[in-house]
Amino acid sequence: MPRLTARERREGYQREYAFQQRHGKPFFPHVVFHDTIVSLIVVALIMGITILWYAQFGAIPTDPMAERTGGLLGPAYEAKADPGVLGYHPQPDWYFFFLFELLRIFKTPELLIVGTIIIPTIWMVLLIGWPFIDRNPDRRLSRRPIALSIGVMVPIVLLTLTFYGSKVPAEGGAASTEPGAAAFAAGACSTCHVLANAGTAGNVGPVLDEAKPDYATALALITNGQGSMPAFKATYTEDEISCLAGYVATWSAAVGTTPGPNAATAKDYPASCEKAGGLFAGNASSAAGP
Amino acid sequence: MSTLLPPPKEIAMLPVDWVEERSGAISFGKYMLFRNVPKDISWLQTLGSALITVFILQATTGIILAMYYQPTPETAWMTIQWITNEATLGWLVRGMHKWGSSVMVVLLFLHMGRTFLFGAYKYPREMTWITGAIIFILVMGMSFTGYLLVFDERAYWATIVGVNINGTAPILGPALSYILMVGPEIGTHTLSRFYSLHMLVLPSAIGGLIFLHMLLVVRLGVTSPPWSRMEPTERDV
Ligand code: HEM
Repeated sequence: MPRLTARERREGYQREYAFQQRHGKPFFPHVVFHDTIVSLIVVALIMGITILWYAQFGAIPTDPMAERTGGLLGPAYEAKADPGVLGYHPQPDWYFFFLFELLRIFKTPELLIVGTIIIPTIWMVLLIGWPFIDRNPDRRLSRRPIALSIGVMVPIVLLTLTFYGSKVPAEGGAASTEPGAAAFAAGACSTCHVLANAGTAGNVGPVLDEAKPDYATALALITNGQGSMPAFKATYTEDEISCLAGYVATWSAAVGTTPGPNAATAKDYPASCEKAGGLFAGNASSAAGP
Repeated sequence: MSTLLPPPKEIAMLPVDWVEERSGAISFGKYMLFRNVPKDISWLQTLGSALITVFILQATTGIILAMYYQPTPETAWMTIQWITNEATLGWLVRGMHKWGSSVMVVLLFLHMGRTFLFGAYKYPREMTWITGAIIFILVMGMSFTGYLLVFDERAYWATIVGVNINGTAPILGPALSYILMVGPEIGTHTLSRFYSLHMLVLPSAIGGLIFLHMLLVVRLGVTSPPWSRMEPTERDV
């Protein structure tokens, strides 16, 4: 890698600049012409996508609170945000998919911070500091093998993460008839967690059959959230939360109808489910659902 | 009797001369228009100006949206619905703002890729790159804060996950989440805080940085392509 002294560097730039001044072309009309055409194309593109987006909407719904559906380009709007809504897949805009995928890759509580803070921070530092990292004065790609390979790898990594980040979790199987199973499967929990007994396949948070939380841990997590998991104390009543916590403690890592290793920490949980009622109570007592 | 009037052409120039004498705006404009740029730049160097266009488009459509949008949990979603369904061409304004943001992110990547491959961030243009990189991060902040404003289910849950991601940072994290949401949950104050960041704080920061970015680009001149034949490094190094 050739090294230049500060003076050589400065004089090299000054020669280049003087050459541009002598042999260049005027900004107007040459650059103005190119810039105008590209700007017009970009505005036309934005308008075109918007018109396609609008054309694929369903009719204005008669229910004033309902979502206005769309096709491939997405709905006009979804239903109004409701903290108490059950079972929603959080999905960011496409340019955050790569971060979302990092969250899925590092989903265990100990590693989570790698995906949420450490890697993004390193990326931002590398991005801002890049001119000081690449000290090679040459601008020709043939003389910049390292920069070139980074320039090829970064888009590949980002596109791959974006692609996987765009996938919605697979449909799970059927929920068991245990108390709390139906509520877990229909609720927000299913979005992020795998729990075989509830038949859920969410892939944002830890697999509960592996994490096997006991009752107290599950109760604290559902109530107050942790890491990227939301707090649910505003969404569910106390009975509903203890029902869900008990269900998770009892049935994660269960084998068939034999409860999992932490079942003993939540012996009385069906009573909370009974009190919570609705989806929480289990099929035996509320076969018709809510 | 008054003296003879000067010829019409000179009369027409009077206001122009007046402005020029007091501000130098005319000679500045002439310099900007007729300064020389490298002879072998063309389409790849248009991405930056396309970004300026999209920024102006976002500002314009954003101002129109702000005339109807009301950032409270009760009204946010309703006003978005009204803009989309009822307002004359409201769907077009909202849609162009929404899709303009995606196009802007794509253009940012392309423009960054162009300057990267051309080595245009090298001496003396390090600060041009740094201002650009900060703009890039702030634009991501625009996307994050704008996403919540629709206040539909997707926006709500994605924002919770996003805020919780900040919350995982050591020491500062929980405080940061609390400051972003103004409390433990998304509510009235969260919306107005996001709105203020989205339409006042971040855009003025981005606007100011674009100004600096352009100042540097004009002062230093656009980089000649690396294959340019009169490249001094090729002759002298
Ligand atoms: C809204 C965001 C931005 C705007 C409006 C903008 C605008 C511009 C314009 C008009 C130019 C003149 C040459 C050209 O268009 O290629 C330029 C050059 C440049 N930009 Fe940006 N830019 C933005 C973001 C960025 C970002 C994110 C980066 C990199 C991290 C960046 C790095 C550079 C560099 C290094 C140059 C010098 C190019 C040269 O001398 O050939 N810019 N920018």
